[in-house]
Amino acid sequence: MTQHSEFLLEIRDLRVQFHTDTGLVKAVEGLNFTLKRGEAVGLVGETGAGKTTTALAIMQLIASPPGKITSGQIFFDGKDILTKSEEEKRHIRGKKVAMIFQDPMTSLNPVLTVQEQIAEMIRLHEQVTNKEALEKARAMLQLVGIQPERGPDYPHQFSGGMKQRVVIAIALACNPQLLIADEPTTALDVTIQAQVLELMRELKQHFNTATILITHDLGVVAELCDSVAIMYAGRILEKADARTLYGNPQHPYTQGLFHSIPDLTKNVHRLNTMPGLPPDPTALPPGCCFAPRCQYADEACSANSPDMTEVEPGHFVACFKIQEKNGRQAHG
Amino acid sequence: MIPVALGVTFILFSLLSVTPGDPARLALGEDASEESLNEFRREYGLDRSFLVRYGFFVYNAAVNQDIGRSYVTRRPVAGEMANTFPVTLNLAFGAITFATVLGMTFGIICAIKQYSIFDNVTMVIAMLGISTPIFYLGILFILWFSVRLRWLPSSGFDTLSQRILPWITLSAPSMSIITRMTRSSMLEVIRSDYIRTARAKGQKESVVILKHALQNALIPIVTIIGIQFGLLLGGSILTESVFSIPGVGRLAVEGIKSRDYPIVQGAVLYIAIAYVFINLFVDLLYAWIDPRLRTRYRY
Ligand SMILES: Nc1ncnc2c1ncn2[C@@H]1O[C@H](COP(=O)(O)OP(=O)(O)O)[C@@H](O)[C@H]1O
Ligand SMILES: [Mg+2]
Repeated sequence: MTQHSEFLLEIRDLRVQFHTDTGLVKAVEGLNFTLKRGEAVGLVGETGAGKTTTALAIMQLIASPPGKITSGQIFFDGKDILTKSEEEKRHIRGKKVAMIFQDPMTSLNPVLTVQEQIAEMIRLHEQVTNKEALEKARAMLQLVGIQPERGPDYPHQFSGGMKQRVVIAIALACNPQLLIADEPTTALDVTIQAQVLELMRELKQHFNTATILITHDLGVVAELCDSVAIMYAGRILEKADARTLYGNPQHPYTQGLFHSIPDLTKNVHRLNTMPGLPPDPTALPPGCCFAPRCQYADEACSANSPDMTEVEPGHFVACFKIQEKNGRQAHG
Repeated sequence: MIPVALGVTFILFSLLSVTPGDPARLALGEDASEESLNEFRREYGLDRSFLVRYGFFVYNAAVNQDIGRSYVTRRPVAGEMANTFPVTLNLAFGAITFATVLGMTFGIICAIKQYSIFDNVTMVIAMLGISTPIFYLGILFILWFSVRLRWLPSSGFDTLSQRILPWITLSAPSMSIITRMTRSSMLEVIRSDYIRTARAKGQKESVVILKHALQNALIPIVTIIGIQFGLLLGGSILTESVFSIPGVGRLAVEGIKSRDYPIVQGAVLYIAIAYVFINLFVDLLYAWIDPRLRTRYRY
């Protein structure tokens, strides 16, 4: 019997570690995360925050060695995918959860035609003949704005933006319930970025696929996402719907991020640096991971790690100081 | 191909012309009279300068398809080649097939199971395979499998059981190199993004490795196999001597000993031509494997 969960995806206390020569990298460290059906969430954080690792953990594609999921649960559609067999995982990958990788230049197999690469996905998850799969592959090309006649061409005959369109076509070919897009436009030129984002927005309306959009770019999130999760040193520090978070960022780190945007009207969305550096993932601080950089931190912050609390409906923050402040307000 | 044949034979002519030793004396024996020696030299053009001889050789080869006659047996070189070259080709083909099939299999397993016991042991054996001279390996195999265990014959090349030891011996260095090349090439490809894409589709691991990874890893492997095949043709000289196989290699060695220049020239010419064909074949294979090379010509 399948229990119908409110959430399409629910991650509980996920920990992912990499054994490297320089030590044990704690890439994801106690991550909690939920996603509703059809919801588009922006996962925002600096390089090294563990965004890609989280995505690969959901896909069950953490390279092992060196990586390992050491604890936690990932419920997809109410069932923990970590406990499934490799065979069952293969039926989820691609069919139910699809992923778009960061660099389109290297994401496609150079020796296979693009239509073959799309058709492969379709043949894997649908009962079709080879001919039907190729036809559907060409239809997918059309959908992402590439002439279907270009199906028999090879990846090197396409530009970066076109390749990313092919990658998107592969990801959406079997109409997945969840799409994870890992910085889908970072490697592209600015003008091409806009086109690819526009395409993703159209497709999101067309398919209503739940989406995790990983990015550095708060502007992109504002355009495409319903909600935002701020990730730092392997954890989510704050999550809320986009409007709430942009209007009322609570966590000192989130405030720092918004502060570091010089001027929104100048259309500069990239994150600037704030004082200090993210912690070394081989030696995470014992308490709140942001404490060493936080102007409000005290001993309590360095001793224990704060849990997520709901500061207003749908707005979750992991910070002792905010909890204190809200506690005081509630009492006085 | 023609420039290659011309170049190779010219170099060989030059080398043989400065080699000490009198072909006539060696062909006719110690007791031959000065007269018959001169007769022999006139007949084979040995009294002419080396450039004239080379001119005649090229002319005869091009116009009459005649590459001379053996000083010793007095039979046409082409006929001798027809008898011995297929044997050498068989030896080289058998060895390269052996080396390719086993080398690639081992290489793929090593790449998938990097740093495992299998990987480490295979890499050590491959190191030995590369550094052990073929003739030494051949003698070792004969001592072990023919003399001690009495499993396989130590000479000849007519029956399958006679062929196994020479094939293995000749293939050992190439197999080692192909194993290492396959391993490193696969390791590089397996880490690439498109392999992750293939896995993200939900593709089976076996298909990911054999379809997506192998075809991309194949390009440097094919290069190495081509080079190795060429070297094998050369290496067959030693193998043929160790296992008493009547191939071109052994014929050439005897030809050198008896200063039978036409035979040596024929042998080298045939091997050079085979080499050119192998390279041509490898180039065609590239285009077949790698669409980036194919379309470069189309546009
Ligand atoms: N295959 C790997 N081997 C070792 N360390 C890794 C590997 N993948 C990621 N990491 C480490 O995990 C941390 C998180 O990386 P990642 O998930 O790629 O961050 P993000 O995508 O947010 O930039 C980084 O410190 C990175 O160095
Ligand atoms: Mg990343």
